[in-house]
Amino acid sequence: MSRNKLFFFDTAKNKEYTFEDLFKGLNQLNSIPAYIHTYDYFEIFLLITASLIHQKHVTLLDFDFRESELLKLGLTGESLGNQISLSNKILVDKNNFYNLLRNSTGWELTLFTSGTTGQPKKISHSFENLTRMVKISDIKGNDVWGFAYNPTHIAGIQVFFQALLNLNSIINLFGQSKATVYSLIRKFNITNISATPTFYRMLVPHDENFNSVKKITSGGECFDQNILELLKKVFPGAKILNIYASTEAGSLFSSKSNTFTLNAKNKDFVKIRNGELLVHKSLLGFSDVLGIEDWYNTNDMVEIIHEDPLTFRFIYRKNEMINVGGNKINPNEVEEILNRYPGVNLSKVYGKKNSILGNILMADIKTDNENITEKELKSFLKDYLQPVKIPRVINLVNTIETTRSGKLKRI
Amino acid sequence: MQQLMAHLLNHINYILGNNSSGEIAKLRTDMNLRDEVGLDSFDMAELTVRLEMEYGIDIFEGGVVYTVGEILRKLEKENVKE
Repeated sequence: MSRNKLFFFDTAKNKEYTFEDLFKGLNQLNSIPAYIHTYDYFEIFLLITASLIHQKHVTLLDFDFRESELLKLGLTGESLGNQISLSNKILVDKNNFYNLLRNSTGWELTLFTSGTTGQPKKISHSFENLTRMVKISDIKGNDVWGFAYNPTHIAGIQVFFQALLNLNSIINLFGQSKATVYSLIRKFNITNISATPTFYRMLVPHDENFNSVKKITSGGECFDQNILELLKKVFPGAKILNIYASTEAGSLFSSKSNTFTLNAKNKDFVKIRNGELLVHKSLLGFSDVLGIEDWYNTNDMVEIIHEDPLTFRFIYRKNEMINVGGNKINPNEVEEILNRYPGVNLSKVYGKKNSILGNILMADIKTDNENITEKELKSFLKDYLQPVKIPRVINLVNTIETTRSGKLKRI
Repeated sequence: MQQLMAHLLNHINYILGNNSSGEIAKLRTDMNLRDEVGLDSFDMAELTVRLEMEYGIDIFEGGVVYTVGEILRKLEKENVKE
């Protein structure tokens, strides 16, 4: 690896970090935070790498978690300030870096997934779990990754490890405009992009084509044939893969279309019961809240296409989570905050099908106060919730349907 | 066309204003919704819903639109009365 090989390009800051910068950063650390909670991508990558090399267990928090959301997780300013000392000095350089990464047998990373009761679930993953689908080879050594996921979510971490373990350069595309994304692909000769279908929907159709891109992976939401065809035109040399992953299990299967076929390796660890996909616990991360059953209910309902080898396609999520552009939103959590607003009697948060985001978050509010405005409700929610959890359209209504047991009628 | 444009500007400024972004003074048909008007994918999704609630038309049905002019043409094509 050359001395000045690019490690990460921070698009928002227009700043390049080389692997030498990464090594220098690693060698300067005397301690790392027990909870990684920062907006700075390079810092996130640096701290994850340091925790891995020193085999320290750290927790990754969404950078836009609000104070009240952190409190729900039992995290106060004091616990967030906890530092883990790196007492064993390890001097990292380009010669020992790779081996240090690969020797991380006892390491764990904890993250949070959206829970079904408004309480996010804590899941701890081993290095083996997070790198289950990572492929390492000399040919991949020159890959340049277009990074299009939140770096604190499991998909982002997996892409990070795929790139890091092959000593690849990472270019941040997350949250960038279409024009910027294409100019970065051109400037850095990006070879691999991993993103949600929502991200790709914003990129196509497009008149140019880019031959540098040789692999495109999609995950987090249902993939449709229309995007696939449009992507093929813009990236004619790219192999396009659809990945099924979850925060509980990491990446599990990949496919070139909407259907997945189990290979011999996965055969005994996955089954379908009453139309629902079940995953064996040996494939999962560790969590107190996942229970002790041998099989984990994914809540993903599937349709069987062939029995042998087992081939299926995803139809819908059994639970109530709303997938907004790849972000799973729990309506209960948003309603709980909306209902606190003076004058709001009842609220219902739901997804409306949308051609850009898959679903857009909507809310109906039952109130006696006709003077309440959408703007003041949104501004109130901003103090408690991440931006993605704030309904984009809030309607004032006279009635909200409930079930016989008094629960919100969701379907 | 001018009235539809003014109406679209109201919708866009309502969205930008509600989401703490700066409002814009004027629209041109050649303006790019993302780069020049300043709408991100969530704002655009919201715009489709608001236009659909008013006119019953999903402007992104059949493909993503990129400019102000493309939205106006879609609305006109569906005989939206000014």
